[in-house]
Amino acid sequence: MSSKATSRRAFLRSASEIAPASLLALSVPSLILAGQQAQAAKSATRPFATLTPEEAADLEAIAARIMPSDETPGAREAGVIYFMDNVLGNEREEVLPALRKWLSDLQAVASTRYGHPALHTLPDGMLDSLLRDIEETPFFDTVRYLTIAGMFTAPLHGGNRDQIGWRLIGFDDQHAWAPPFGYYDAEYMEVGE
Amino acid sequence: MAQAIFSTREEVDFVVVGSGSAGGIVARELSRAGFSVVVLEQGPYLQPSDYSHDEWDVTQNEEMVWGPQKGHPQTFRRYEHETAQLSNRAVLGYAHNVGGSSHHYSGNFWRLRPIDFQERTVRGEIPGTNFTDWPISYEDLEPYYTKVEWEVGMSGLQGPWDPPRSRDYPLPPLPIKSSGVLLERAAKKLGWTAYPEPHAILSQPYKGRGGCIHCGFCLGFACEVGAKSSTAIAMIPEALESGNCELRTMCTVARVETNANGRVSEVVYWEEDGTIRSQKTKAAVLCANGAETPRLLLLSESNRFPDGLANSSGMVGKNLMFNGSSSVAGIFDHPVNAYKSVPTTRVIHDFYSIDPSHGFYGGGGIDERHLSRGLPMSFAMGESRFSGDSWGSDFKNQLAHEFSHACSFNGHTTSLPLSSNNVTLDPVVKDKWGRPALRTTFMNHPDDIATMKFFVERSVELMEAVGAKGITSSYAESGQSGGVHLLGTCRMGNDPDSSVVDRYNRSHDVPNLFMVDGGSLVTSGRGQPTMTIMALAFRAADHMIRAARSGEV
Repeated sequence: MSSKATSRRAFLRSASEIAPASLLALSVPSLILAGQQAQAAKSATRPFATLTPEEAADLEAIAARIMPSDETPGAREAGVIYFMDNVLGNEREEVLPALRKWLSDLQAVASTRYGHPALHTLPDGMLDSLLRDIEETPFFDTVRYLTIAGMFTAPLHGGNRDQIGWRLIGFDDQHAWAPPFGYYDAEYMEVGE
Repeated sequence: MAQAIFSTREEVDFVVVGSGSAGGIVARELSRAGFSVVVLEQGPYLQPSDYSHDEWDVTQNEEMVWGPQKGHPQTFRRYEHETAQLSNRAVLGYAHNVGGSSHHYSGNFWRLRPIDFQERTVRGEIPGTNFTDWPISYEDLEPYYTKVEWEVGMSGLQGPWDPPRSRDYPLPPLPIKSSGVLLERAAKKLGWTAYPEPHAILSQPYKGRGGCIHCGFCLGFACEVGAKSSTAIAMIPEALESGNCELRTMCTVARVETNANGRVSEVVYWEEDGTIRSQKTKAAVLCANGAETPRLLLLSESNRFPDGLANSSGMVGKNLMFNGSSSVAGIFDHPVNAYKSVPTTRVIHDFYSIDPSHGFYGGGGIDERHLSRGLPMSFAMGESRFSGDSWGSDFKNQLAHEFSHACSFNGHTTSLPLSSNNVTLDPVVKDKWGRPALRTTFMNHPDDIATMKFFVERSVELMEAVGAKGITSSYAESGQSGGVHLLGTCRMGNDPDSSVVDRYNRSHDVPNLFMVDGGSLVTSGRGQPTMTIMALAFRAADHMIRAARSGEV
C-alpha cells in the first residue's frame, strides 16, 4: 500500500498526462486540504464535543464489539468514537436524544442483569450477550451504522484514523489508476483472454 | 462570449426547466440556433473544486441528491389504497445541480434496439398494462444516437452486438477490469457474448476534455477531470458561449402559467432567497426529469386545466417505470479490485428478449460491478451480502477479504408501464417551498419480478462457470421501493387520449409546451435510459427549431 505522499505524486503524474491543467489546478488543492485535515484529526485523546465521557466510553465499548480489535485494529484504534461525537453534534444531531435514551435503557438492563450500569466495564462476553438481545432494535441499528460509517469514513470526519478501516479492507486511497487493476486483467493482458 | 442576460419582463423564445441530460442538450441546440433561452435550474453550478470523493457527505448525506435532509421529503406506498409514508431517503433519486443526474451517473450508454419501439406489435398485448408501441422507430432515432456519441462524447467498440449504426464510436473502449475478464470468460463458457460496455466516459482526451484516470468514483460522484460526459461539462458551456442562453441556478419553478388562449405565457419560480419571479416566454420546455416534470404539471392546474397542465389524457405522472435490477455476488481467489476504474467494462445482451415460452414478458442485460459501487462504507453497511453475523470478528474478517476479492454480475431489466404506478402530489407532506411532496405509488408487475429472477439465475450460472465461491444473490422479490431511472410519466404517443406528448415531445394540449426527459419513454428499455433521453432531446430540439422558424410554436 502506498503512502499518502506517494499517492498524491502518483495522482499528479498520472492525471497531468491526460487532464487539462486548469481542471487539475482546481481539484488537487481540495485533495491536499483533505489530507491536512485528516492529519489534524489524528490526535488520540481529545475532549468530546457532544457526548459525556461516560456516554462516549459506553458507545465506544459497543462499537468495539461491532468492529473488534483482534488480529487487526478495530473501532477503538480507528477512533470511531470521535466520528460519532462529531456527527452526533452536527449532521446526525437529530439522532442524539433517542440515542441517549436507548443507551440509558441498556444501562438499566445491564444494571439489573449484571449489577452494574457501566457497559464499558463489562467483560466482552456479557456485553455481546446484551447486544445479541437488542440486535433487531433501532438502537443497535443506529450504533452499527455509526460504527461502520466511522470506521470507513474519509478521516476528516473524525474516524478511520490513519486509514485503519481502508487498510483493513484493501481500499487504496489513490484516486487515479492505470491498468492492470487486479489479478485477472493482468493475466488477460498477458494471455489475451 | 459571456452568457446572455434577459429581463424577466422581456419575452424570451424558450424557457427550459432543468439543465440535466435533456435540458442541457435542448438549451445548447436552441441557443446555438439563435433563439433566446433562459434555463431555470434548482441546484447550483458545481465546479471541479466543489467535487468530492467523500462517501459520508456525498452518499450518506445526499449532498447532490437532496433528500429529506435538504428540505425535499418524499413519500412512498405500494398501492393506491394505502397512505404513503415519509421516507428517510430520496425515493426517486436525482442530482440537483447543473447537469442533473448526468453529473453523477456512471455513463453506461445502451442504445435502444429496433424491437424496443415496436414490441407491443411483435409481442402482443399484455393485459392489465399500458404496454404499447412507440410513435417513432429506431430508424427515426438512430441519427440522434450517433449525435450523442459524437457531440456528448462516448467510448465503445463497434461490433456484431450493436443495433444498426451509421457511424463508429468516436473513441475506443475503456480498458477491461478483472471483473470484466471474469464475466467474459464465464460468457464464453456458456456460449454467450460479453462485449465492451459503451460509456459516456472518455477513454482518451476529446474536445478539450481529459480522458478517464480510473479513480473509481463514477456512480454517485461528479468527475474532476471532465472525462464523464455530463451535460454540465459537454453541453452547458457551449450553450452559454452562444451568447443566447442565460443559466439561472438555484431557481425552483413553482408554476407554468397559461393565458386565455391556453398557451404558456410565463414560468413562475423562486430564487434561492425565496423571492418570486416570473419569466415571460414564447414557449417552455420542461426537462425536469420523470418525477419533477409531472409534479410541475400537476402543480400548474388552473380553471382551464383542472387536472393539471397538459393532462387531458390523465396520463401525467402515470406509467412510472424504474428498470428492474438484480445482483449476484461471488468471491474469487485473487484480487479483483473492482473498486478501481469505471463501474463496469463488459456487458452481455444475449437475453435482450426472453423467449415468450418462459411465460412472462421481459429482457435485459448483464454487466459486472463492485458490490457497493466500490465504496468502503456502503460495502460494510450491506450486511445482507454476508453470511452469518453482521457484526463482530467474523464479520470484520469477511469484509477484509471480500472488498477486494468479490464482484457482482448485475441484471438490468424491463419494467412494464401501469396506471397504478405513478407520481402524484402528497396530500399532507410539504417540501421546503411549501409545495406538496412527491408521492410515489409503485408495485412491480409480476413479469418485472419474474424477469429479475431470470437474470439472477443466468448470473448464478455465469458465477459458477467462472469458479466463484460464496455466491449470493439479491433482487426486489417483493417489488422495488424507489429508483433512479424515472421513466414513462409523460409518455410519448400519437393518441392524445392515451399519451402526454406527441412524437416530437410537444404537448398534445398546449401547443407551445414541450416535455423532454425520462418521462417521455413509452417503454422502459433494458436498463440504461440516459442515452435515449439525450437522443430524444437532440431530436426534439431539431423539431422545435424547425417549428419556431416557421412560426409554428
